[in-house]
Amino acid sequence: MPYREKTAWLSLLAMAITFGPYFAIVASRRLPEASLPNLNLLGLFAAAALAQVLVLGAGRLYLGRTSPDDARTPPDERDSAIVRRSMSAAYYVLIAGIIVVGCVMPFSFSGWAIVNAALATIVTAELVHYGVVVCSYRRQT
Amino acid sequence: MTQGSISNRIRSLRFHHGEMSQGELGQRIGVTRQTIAAIEAGKYSPSLVAAFRIAHVFAVPLSEVFQWETES
Repeated sequence: MPYREKTAWLSLLAMAITFGPYFAIVASRRLPEASLPNLNLLGLFAAAALAQVLVLGAGRLYLGRTSPDDARTPPDERDSAIVRRSMSAAYYVLIAGIIVVGCVMPFSFSGWAIVNAALATIVTAELVHYGVVVCSYRRQT
Repeated sequence: MTQGSISNRIRSLRFHHGEMSQGELGQRIGVTRQTIAAIEAGKYSPSLVAAFRIAHVFAVPLSEVFQWETES
């Protein structure tokens, strides 16, 4: 498996095990509703973000140690083409989300609902980005 | 528009050049071993520059490495 496909899988995994639970807790409304800044939710977000950084850091370190040559090799033309395609797909998801969050939601929602919708948009765009990377490598292998 | 696909003889050229490995060829043209494997399998079409580099490594014209096969 190409090194860059492994890092894309790692990013998908990190996203799933950190922001998956975050959005599950937010959706289940297990945290008490509170006015801004709602430190409980802020703390949960900080924990999810920190966990993601840790998982990504540890994963990159492991991948770098197991295949040091691949980790040092700069992306070639196929890697760049795959990244361009995945960024292009993620861009449309991000734009659609931003239109909803910035132009539609403010008329009926406020506070953390908008913040979480923006976060969900970013996470979804990232999932699409890494998902397209993984699919592209799978298709070309 | 003319329909067709690109085929290549990289596997055979590698064989005739001392069973050159995909990794070695990749190193010589600046791509990864996996990219050479994808090109060989016809799953990735290389850039013109990479195609010329491959031909240069084997010291053959480009048309001996890549062929355009039209679909009837």
